[in-house]
Amino acid sequence: MDKPSPGLVRSHCVGTTAVVYASDYLNKLTGEKIERECRRQLDCGCRALVIDFSDTQLVNSIGISILLGIIDVAERNGARVVFSEVNDQTVELFEMLGLTRHVVLAKDEHEALLNLSHYETTPTVH
Amino acid sequence: MNKRSSSENFRRILGRVTQYDFVGRGDELSRIMAHAEPANAGRGLLLLMEPSAGVSELLRQAYDQIFNRRSEVIPIYFAFTRHETTAVSAAIEFLNTFLQQYIAYRRDEPVVSHSTLTLQDLVELAPPADVEWIEQLVDSYTRLRFSNDDKALVRFCLGAPQRIPAGRGRPLIMLDGAQLADYLNGVVVLGTEVLRVFGRGGFTFVLAGLRRQILAAAHEAKCNFELLDILRLQQLDTTQAALLVEHVARRQHVTISEAARDLLVQQFAGNPFFISIFLQAAREKNASLDSYLDCERLYVDELLGGHLHRHFAELLEEIAPRLDTRHLLIRVLWEAAAGEDQTSTFEGWRKRLHVTAGELQEILQRLHAQEFVNWDQGIVEAGVGPQAWKDYLKVRYRLDVLNDPRALVVADALADSLKRAPHTMARHYKQIAGGGLRELIGRFNCQRIPSVLFDYATFSRKYKGAESDTIAAGLEAEADLLKLPQTVHLASCAAFNSDMRQLTDDERCLLAHTFEDGAYSDAQQVIWFTADLEAKLEVDVDVARAWYERFETLAETLSFTRYQIWLISNEGFTEEASRFLNRRKAFSSSRSQLGLIAERVGEPVPAPVVQTTEANEFLMVVPMGEDNELIAASTAEQIARRLLFRPEAINQIKTAVVEACINASEHSFSPDRKIYQRFRLESDRLVVTISSRGIVPANLNGASSGLEISEAAEERRGWGLKLIRTLMDEVEFERVDEGTSLRMTKYLRQSSS
Repeated sequence: MDKPSPGLVRSHCVGTTAVVYASDYLNKLTGEKIERECRRQLDCGCRALVIDFSDTQLVNSIGISILLGIIDVAERNGARVVFSEVNDQTVELFEMLGLTRHVVLAKDEHEALLNLSHYETTPTVH
Repeated sequence: MNKRSSSENFRRILGRVTQYDFVGRGDELSRIMAHAEPANAGRGLLLLMEPSAGVSELLRQAYDQIFNRRSEVIPIYFAFTRHETTAVSAAIEFLNTFLQQYIAYRRDEPVVSHSTLTLQDLVELAPPADVEWIEQLVDSYTRLRFSNDDKALVRFCLGAPQRIPAGRGRPLIMLDGAQLADYLNGVVVLGTEVLRVFGRGGFTFVLAGLRRQILAAAHEAKCNFELLDILRLQQLDTTQAALLVEHVARRQHVTISEAARDLLVQQFAGNPFFISIFLQAAREKNASLDSYLDCERLYVDELLGGHLHRHFAELLEEIAPRLDTRHLLIRVLWEAAAGEDQTSTFEGWRKRLHVTAGELQEILQRLHAQEFVNWDQGIVEAGVGPQAWKDYLKVRYRLDVLNDPRALVVADALADSLKRAPHTMARHYKQIAGGGLRELIGRFNCQRIPSVLFDYATFSRKYKGAESDTIAAGLEAEADLLKLPQTVHLASCAAFNSDMRQLTDDERCLLAHTFEDGAYSDAQQVIWFTADLEAKLEVDVDVARAWYERFETLAETLSFTRYQIWLISNEGFTEEASRFLNRRKAFSSSRSQLGLIAERVGEPVPAPVVQTTEANEFLMVVPMGEDNELIAASTAEQIARRLLFRPEAINQIKTAVVEACINASEHSFSPDRKIYQRFRLESDRLVVTISSRGIVPANLNGASSGLEISEAAEERRGWGLKLIRTLMDEVEFERVDEGTSLRMTKYLRQSSS
């Protein structure tokens, strides 16, 4: 079910997985919005996060550092994180900065959810 | 049209520069012009100037304006100079100048003001209506001249304007005492005598001079202060001083870069006299001022043998006419300035200078008037005065006292100046950035502000990443409000403990005396300690604790019983640091919280803006912030397409440009908040240069800024550079005096085919 957040970051939940959509340019401002939304979803009980980059054309290093922060927060909450539909240039950046060591990359949202479904145990609706 | 024709008809008489080139003293000029109005008839205006603050041209410009008005006010300008050796000769010169300028005005012939004329010539030039009284005046003068009564003669000469018959105009006497006048030999102390004649009513006059000297003379002369107004003339502010540099440089045909201009402004602390003589020296030596090195080379030349040297040497000669005393004085002044304890007793000075108490009193009076020392009864504080004075003292000390080789002194002075230049500018840029904090705290006046703005952890939890509208609505709904105290005194913490200067800049660490509810009682008095910490990421608990403990110690040392600690950091504080501060009831805010507080307390301070131009290349200038790096990236993309780079390579270039822009923006304290981009297309490559003005990052010049930057912050800056180096084929920092200039090259064949 789609649930627009106050920070205007698009997101929706599939079971205990939250899908959060990154915008076309991932920088400090948009990164913090995603972080805020991810924290909100985790506080609501989500056990996994999919961050979808299908709209994302450009990512900067501050945006990447915020993504690392999100991964940390998710780990502390026992949640898994998958990045979906990341373009090749962005994958290249993630690899350069070691992000891919901490996160699973999926071709698209469907593949991400499929990947996570193996780990999901108790469906929750919220 | 009228304005233009009036400007074209304006006659420059005494002014040495055009009205257009007279910059920085517009308000003061208006004040003097207002003093010429009938409402101020019979009143005096004391222009109290900081040493070398440049008053002479101000008075000359006022003279020209009043002359051109052709009203009943007759301008008289007289400058006491060092060439007049006695009070009597200075007074006689005044009489001559007065008559000359009176007649010039009455005949409406400016040239008479400049001519070399005897008193007899002036009698002959006098308009028929004035011949009689001027003849009588000259006769009386001639009789008195040989009467051997110097005091009477001085008073007669100075009082001459009172003899203008009614209906012939009202004189405005402008006396330029910048180089005056207590030094003049003889039984008459001229400064006091001038004020005795003019300051007891009857005259409309302006007397300009050193602030410490003129006020003392006014008291000495028992002036009627009800008839005196005071105008303080300080050094120029940064904007006006920069404008002055530009105007003088253009007039003197000296090419100067923006960075060099700003350095001069800071190095001379906005002193118009130093700026003017320095640029004059540049013209005489046909020197361009394109870099810090150009400036400092000329500066050292000036200290050792140019205009600056002559200026200070003449002052020292006046202060201590005897050569042996002068050498000892240089030694005492420099050793006191360079030592840890800059204060000493009168007796201590007397013994070291081998002079009598009377002689030392004269020397100290003169040093105090020039603000080279602060002398208060028995205590003498050295180590004050402009930087140029301290540098002059140092080179003289090394040459005259230590007998160091001149080449070594020159080389050391140049190296010291060059090393100091980036720090001078960094301090200025940080002052600009921190200036808002001083203004903000200074405006605390019992406003009610959401408490969450002083609590980073809560703010972060509630609002971080939220839209500004959401934050505004949330803050509006906050019920927990903090009532700010009223600030009554605000100063840098370093003013209370100089050790604080080792830790941060003056403007980033402030101590405010405040009263809760604006009620002035012991119970309501609270001292606010505020530090604006420089860090790129959230400040950790170690740094927060260190600052908290510093303030706690300072409060204890200064016996402050009630105090409030407020720490500010760009990105806020870690959870652990926030918990530490909250437990101790210390306030914590991020930069965005500070902005929100400023909005609620008053208007934010606008950032200064300057422009630049370049030619022969694709050049673009964008303001920092607002995602403007995307504009740069988009431009890079358009240009890269022309060279037929492949899409992957274009994306790499775009990302590198974005990272370079972020690096340029982040914490550079850029004075103009602009990013300069140059794109050069060559047959096989694209060269992109991203530059900004401001502080040279410590990790680029190898110097430590002395500020606490966490390892994580360094790491993140490293990420940007790491990406750029990976994405581009060649990356190089160009050498610049300030800020950064990053040149990045992408080859067409190597990377994109």
